[in-house]
Amino acid sequence: MTTASASVSWRRYFWWNTDHKVIGVQYIVTSFLFFILGGALAMLVRSELATPATDLLDGSTFNQVMTNHGTLMIFLWILPVLAGFGNYLIPLMIGARDMAFPRLNALSYWIIPPAGLLMIASFFAGGAEAGWTAYVPLSIGGPPGQTLWALSVMLLGISGIFGAINFLTTVIMMRAPGLTFWRLPLFVWGMIATSLLILTATPVLTSGLIMVALDRVVGTHFFTVTSGGDPVLWQNLFWFYSHPAVYIMILPAMGIISEIFPVFARKPIFGYRMIAMSSMAIAVLGLTVWAHHMFTSGMDPRLRVPYMVSSMVIAVPTGIKIFSWLATIWYGKLRFTTSMLFALGFISMFLIGGLTGIFLAAIPVDLHVHDTYFVVAHLHFVLFGGSVSAVYAGLYYWFPKITGRMLDEKIGRTHFALNFIGTNLAYLPMFIAGLMGMPRRVAAYDPSFTSYNQWATLGALILAFSTMPFLYNTIVSWARGPKAAANPWQAQTLEWRTSSPPPLENFSEIPIVTGGPYDYGEPSAPAAEPAAAPAAG
Amino acid sequence: MRERTLFFSAIVGIVLIGAGFAVATQANLMPPEASTRAVAVDQLFRILLGISTVIFLLVEGALVFAVIRFRRQAGDDRPGPAVHGNTSLEILWTLIPAAIVVVIGLYSFQVLAAIEVPGLGPRVIEVVGRQFSWQFRYPETDLATTELHLPVGQPVVFQISSEDVIHSFWVPAFRAKLDATPGQISELVMTPIEIGRFPIRCAELCGAGHAVMTSEVVVESPEDFAAWLAEQQAMANDPAQIFLTMGCGACHTLASAGTTATIGPPLDEMAAVAATRLPGLTAQDYVVQSILAPDDFIAPGFPPGLMPKTFSQRLTPDQIERLAAFLLDQP
Repeated sequence: MTTASASVSWRRYFWWNTDHKVIGVQYIVTSFLFFILGGALAMLVRSELATPATDLLDGSTFNQVMTNHGTLMIFLWILPVLAGFGNYLIPLMIGARDMAFPRLNALSYWIIPPAGLLMIASFFAGGAEAGWTAYVPLSIGGPPGQTLWALSVMLLGISGIFGAINFLTTVIMMRAPGLTFWRLPLFVWGMIATSLLILTATPVLTSGLIMVALDRVVGTHFFTVTSGGDPVLWQNLFWFYSHPAVYIMILPAMGIISEIFPVFARKPIFGYRMIAMSSMAIAVLGLTVWAHHMFTSGMDPRLRVPYMVSSMVIAVPTGIKIFSWLATIWYGKLRFTTSMLFALGFISMFLIGGLTGIFLAAIPVDLHVHDTYFVVAHLHFVLFGGSVSAVYAGLYYWFPKITGRMLDEKIGRTHFALNFIGTNLAYLPMFIAGLMGMPRRVAAYDPSFTSYNQWATLGALILAFSTMPFLYNTIVSWARGPKAAANPWQAQTLEWRTSSPPPLENFSEIPIVTGGPYDYGEPSAPAAEPAAAPAAG
Repeated sequence: MRERTLFFSAIVGIVLIGAGFAVATQANLMPPEASTRAVAVDQLFRILLGISTVIFLLVEGALVFAVIRFRRQAGDDRPGPAVHGNTSLEILWTLIPAAIVVVIGLYSFQVLAAIEVPGLGPRVIEVVGRQFSWQFRYPETDLATTELHLPVGQPVVFQISSEDVIHSFWVPAFRAKLDATPGQISELVMTPIEIGRFPIRCAELCGAGHAVMTSEVVVESPEDFAAWLAEQQAMANDPAQIFLTMGCGACHTLASAGTTATIGPPLDEMAAVAATRLPGLTAQDYVVQSILAPDDFIAPGFPPGLMPKTFSQRLTPDQIERLAAFLLDQP
């Protein structure tokens, strides 16, 4: 009987299924495959840049590799992997049996594989080579793959919109009895803020992509200067989505971090309401900053200063989160699980991304560092040191819940160490290269930048290698790791009050919520499960 | 206890501010300061660097301290103190960053206003970006060059435009960058203050040759500049000079001009094949057609659409004939 159910459980991941937990796993695994592909492209870029001259890839191929690296990592890795966490966790965390619209949920996942294949196909149809930003008129005149690229990004945007509608409806309509908004886990707050941003911003990108596709295929002139079009219009449409996209990629990640610290510090989260509201503040402010990507575009000088101010103000809610996390671990009883290590790594590296964001917001400095390796370093500290660290922290934390098996902590620590060293080694030298005068997206560079680039390439090699222990750990542990208890970390959020993995429809009986999600040390807190000795901790 | 905390905080504060000051004043992370803008921008940069260093050390220091000090002791399974927040602390770490942001914002605004004031009687220089070279025009002389020359100490206003896609004109040593956008003329003002040669780069992805869309700016004394200008005007009709000025060398190899780019076909081999390329066209006519309408015949192994189609507007028919003859007459 066990073998029969095991084989069924394997097959359901490869087919249409409306269980949010199956869909969550489908999202996470699919996006991880694209992460590996995007990482391979990054290694091609770093190999080319190991020497100043163009020796491995010619200029055009380099641009294709760089364009697809950026697009894959954003649209097919970070965005969908976080949507995967949302899918798996939101119904469990709010005590629901599934998402509000299970079939729409399955559809939002099943848009992704064909969109991803379309992106890969574009590579072979004379790939997109205008960068992930696809600035016109370069992207209008580019090879045919650019149209497939636009179509693929459009589809992924639609998948994101479906997901956001589902997340919001589920959280608003399907919370367990007693689970008020002020008792929601902070990851759920992060997903609320993200979903609002997705719904507001994505349609604007989609409309822009339709205009690009029309200019290319039908011969319209939305962006052609000689026919009265405007190339800067694209930049407005693109960044109106793509700057909020950064917050779409970081708010759920911050939510993951807020889940992990209380558990492994054995303390309540510090400043729950401020953290929840700072997510909402970032979402609202995030819609008002897009033109800080356009300070060098020759925009109306009077318009620049408001964008500078709004961009800088975002540092305040971001700072609130970082200080609140520090206060959460202060006086705690810290347990250094791999998940906790990645969460601590998140703070230390995201901080660098955040601080350098202030430099970029300050217009006079931005006019020097815009479109240089300084920006490349900044965005990788935010998205790799930040979002990807949080994704790893979340994977180590919820793996026992998802699979019913424990991961090996020793291999996990090796993975963390390699990842932490590789990230800093790869991206720190890029700040200096950019300041000293190296533009981004170049296949060749002045020999004076050689040493920075060689350090970065070494760091990237370490990063590539660091995924090996992770893959080994997940595959072997999923197959035959030690069985996980229902609540191996003695956490208090609802997903740990059901078996690991949870049964179909999640709870034998819908829980009734009487307190906050992080009441560690409170006499009123639900007693910890008579936990089987945690295999790690 | 309270006194000890206060004393300890004061020590930490002094160390942090000292470290911030040291990094801000000592770190050398920028190219030479070769323009008036560079001086003002670098001062802002150093202040941001100092503040960031203090915040960085504060947060990372607290993180490392907590990791060491608050690690769970073996066998201790009790929870930590059930503290949910502290309103005054939370107000404090909202207001202090907000105040810092206000100060940085005001100062940035002041620097921005200062660097964008044009100097007195600025010299206009037109900067034209095209795939994959820069052209500089000195309006009062009809002269166009691919290397930028400026007299030191004299204010300049660059009028930046593009003939094809978006480029971005960037001189790192001037801390100045502005996009070259088709259909738009953008103005960038500054005054060079240091004699020397400084790199010019394209900062906006513009196609296959983006990385090699580089040039140099030569800042020289007003006398040297005047002499250079006179010499350039004398050479304006020399075909070798036309080849360089039009930026042909950014994509084509030509031994006599010392160019080695491989984005377009090498031109040293053209004399051998030009007469046989298209039936009915002489070698000279074929080369003229290749300059004026490059996509009419694409040399095998190269992509169409890369070469600009604007030379009929930028060169006189006489200059084009002379350039074609020059290309066919290579040793």
